[in-house]
Amino acid sequence: MDKETLRRLELLNQLRLTEEEKASFMKFFDERYEDACSLDSIDTSAVERMVHVMPVMTVVREDVVKQNFAREDLQKSAPETDEGYWCVPRVVE
Amino acid sequence: MKKYTVKTETLAECKFVADDMILTKDIPTTAGSKMLDGYVSLFEADVLTRLFDKGYGLAGKTNVGEFNFDLVGETSYNGAMVEDGIIKNATASAVKDGEADFAITLDVNGTNRRATAQSGLVSVKPTYGTVSRFGTIPVACSGETVSIVATNADKCKEVLSVIAGHDDKDGTSLPQKEIDKIKEEKELKKVVVLKSMLKGINSEVSEKIANVCEILRKNGVEVTEIDDSVIALSNKAWNVLMSAELCNNVSRYDGVKYGYRAQNFVGIDGLYTNSRTEAFGLLIKSAILFGSETLSTSNYMKVYDKCLRMRRVIVEEFAKMFASYDAVLMPTCSTFAYTQESVQKDMYMPFTENFYTAPASITGLPAVVVDGVQFVGNAFSENSLLSLAKVIEKEGK
Amino acid sequence: MKYETVIGLEVHVELATKSKIFCSCSAHSYGADPNSHVCPACCGMPGMLPVVNKRVVDYGMKAGMMLNCHINRTTTFDKKSYYYPDLPAAYQTTQWFAPVAVNGLVEIETSKGKKSVRIKQIHMEEDAGKLVHDIREDTTHVDFNRTSVPLIEIVSQPDLSSAEEVEAYLDRLKNLLRFAKVAECEMAHGTMRCDVNLSVRPEGSDKLGVRTEMKNMNSIEAIKRAIEYETARHIDALEHNTEVLVQETRRWDDIKGKSFAMRSKETAGDYRYFPDPNVMPVVIDDEWFDAIQSSLPEFPEVKRERYINEIGLSEYDADQLVKSIAICECFEDAYAVCGSAKDSANWLLSECMNILNARQMTYDMLDIDGKALGKLIKLVSDGKVGRANGKKILADMFDNRDIEPESYAKENGYIVSNDTSLIEKVAKEAIASNPRAVNDFKSGKEKAIMALFGACMKQLKGNCDPNTLKEILVDQINKI
Repeated sequence: MDKETLRRLELLNQLRLTEEEKASFMKFFDERYEDACSLDSIDTSAVERMVHVMPVMTVVREDVVKQNFAREDLQKSAPETDEGYWCVPRVVE
Repeated sequence: MKKYTVKTETLAECKFVADDMILTKDIPTTAGSKMLDGYVSLFEADVLTRLFDKGYGLAGKTNVGEFNFDLVGETSYNGAMVEDGIIKNATASAVKDGEADFAITLDVNGTNRRATAQSGLVSVKPTYGTVSRFGTIPVACSGETVSIVATNADKCKEVLSVIAGHDDKDGTSLPQKEIDKIKEEKELKKVVVLKSMLKGINSEVSEKIANVCEILRKNGVEVTEIDDSVIALSNKAWNVLMSAELCNNVSRYDGVKYGYRAQNFVGIDGLYTNSRTEAFGLLIKSAILFGSETLSTSNYMKVYDKCLRMRRVIVEEFAKMFASYDAVLMPTCSTFAYTQESVQKDMYMPFTENFYTAPASITGLPAVVVDGVQFVGNAFSENSLLSLAKVIEKEGK
Repeated sequence: MKYETVIGLEVHVELATKSKIFCSCSAHSYGADPNSHVCPACCGMPGMLPVVNKRVVDYGMKAGMMLNCHINRTTTFDKKSYYYPDLPAAYQTTQWFAPVAVNGLVEIETSKGKKSVRIKQIHMEEDAGKLVHDIREDTTHVDFNRTSVPLIEIVSQPDLSSAEEVEAYLDRLKNLLRFAKVAECEMAHGTMRCDVNLSVRPEGSDKLGVRTEMKNMNSIEAIKRAIEYETARHIDALEHNTEVLVQETRRWDDIKGKSFAMRSKETAGDYRYFPDPNVMPVVIDDEWFDAIQSSLPEFPEVKRERYINEIGLSEYDADQLVKSIAICECFEDAYAVCGSAKDSANWLLSECMNILNARQMTYDMLDIDGKALGKLIKLVSDGKVGRANGKKILADMFDNRDIEPESYAKENGYIVSNDTSLIEKVAKEAIASNPRAVNDFKSGKEKAIMALFGACMKQLKGNCDPNTLKEILVDQINKI
């Protein structure tokens, strides 16, 4: 992990680390990354990836509308709303 | 120094606590994070509905480490529980101290299993897909499971029979006829100990394992030791998967819709970055950044996809084990007490201590912790594992 | 130097399902109050889990079949991560690794003839919310009604080379998807949206030039203008070194008639796709596949051939009819009832079109009962209802789908009278009060009878067979 990659990661994930945290994170990252790379000792070229541990397929629901929630409730814990909208600083394009 | 985030009154005969990963209506669910301070869900977890319907009463919400991702609760925004320099788990303590008959928790990274082992309790992490995750705070969805902590194996069995069941609201919930396989209990006669999984344990844990093996043999269970196994690589892969999933799942916390919003910021990116930077702890931040990088274009195939393949390798290795043995015995943690000092020295211990818990997490296999040790069984064998646990709890301690 | 334009399109189409793709909120919120069609899942709250709407898969497959795609029998969902206020969970669930349909082919026709456009893939995904920038100056308002509405994204290969071809391609997609009834495809409603990937290269070259992606075109006209502008900008840059072209995303400003580079972030494009652990793979078994395949409509060109060869319509009429499935269905129902293809086509293409035009409605908005139309046509062709009255009944049928033409005609006095004594009486009166017309007719001006004819028709409220009336009038004049 280098400073440049870390800076990009911070931007990408909307986070900022202090200098002290950076040092601690970089060590942590390198160890975990090395752990992951050590798995190369196992040949998995013929192994299919496994996303779901249970072999269940095709879980679908019928196309039925259920409207169970009111806007006032959904916005009760909102930091900022106006006229039924959530609000953010102007996104300029 | 908090055991409860909210304590509730109940007149029910049988009381339980839910850890703060389980969403409750009308009372807050914070996931131990400043991000969700005071957050109240508009709906409750499916497990709670099932328990309430059967007359069980909620005695309170117990404090968790941030997103239940840590060792035993040390990273909670609400403050960790420390006694004599030892970190205590709030959920296990509520059961241990007799304030609840059992606890419902979300097992993300083995926290509740370690806490169970360190409190002398019994817990069951059921087979993935048998208990609905609807209404739990999502962290590492591919492996996390709603689990039960109780004082004895019978209680675990009783509660499991209530909360296990198909739920249409959870797309990973198994069909009822699969879940019903839990009821087909059988006597477990062959237990295998993986030497490679004994790495790093202290003498106390080592003695515990030996002691449990002794009890098993005394009760006619054949105990075999085998050498090396890829199962010991589980946490190296699980760390990647759970961090990437965490990164994705907690990206929703951005200070816009609900939860914590920074007071000072400029522009939308300022709002996002300041809110997240101020609200998340360093363990979560680190996991987000690590997880994110494993999904980057340059690392996806090399790291993330590799770990998904490793998951299958490990699952198949377990399947091979279960062709010859009924359960795998392994430690739950390297030590029965985490000191505040050791945690301060290495805050990233959750990524190494999960060496013992990751095998069941990454495979979704059921795990029962009893007398400090852990049995991992084949899918749907949790009741059989609990019966075995009953034998041990009678003779152990 | 001569240049050619190379264009590939990414077309987003909202699927016409009732509920959203992963939650049960209504998918129809066009014009609704902000955030009135939302639940904890679609405003990014934790704890709800996605369960796939089956109809989305049905429609995704159907769209794939309409565009001659290979259907992936195991199709999976993936998460795409980025921060933007219209994306409440900061990830979009989409299909990255195994989209529902791949490798399709769409035939288009332009003034230059026929051409095939290759479809790279069709994937199913959830839509984002809507941002409103004009309520307060310093604030963007966020509406999640559209969040998680099901979309398919149809990605073409760079096989298009002009605005005309793009228009033909989009018309073709619209036509096919509407025939399959999977989508409205109305750009004005935002149910069809299009991003244009464009590059320019010297004619005959096989190397692609620098590609730009344009967004934010809200109509076919805007797309055409944008393509023309962007092509000219690229050629200018190559020819006169006016600027250095870079691969970027540009926003089309239709008012200014220009495209502008969008502010690009250092981290743009780093979407960190990974398989969604919460959504199980969707396996399309033979039964499901066959059910969808057998539900496919007759393709427009097959219909066209049938209309011409089997039921004897003119090529022109057939071409006009197959522009819209609503018109085709109405035509087929009407034809089945009245037995005349020509009459059915005429009524639809002239009378119905006139009413649609007057009401500023499109072909696809036709919503009358074809069987009732057939009955009406038969009433008119059998001489039971006059043509003018027939048109009045038709207009009323646009307002009320339940009108049964015959009883409606009776109730409103639109039935042609067979009472010749009444017609004779009216004819006599008309002749008596129009001596000049009678004289003109007698002196050889045959058209003069029309004045008498008109007066009689008015008196009879149109309920008279025109030939009978004419005969009686001539007969009565001759008796004088």
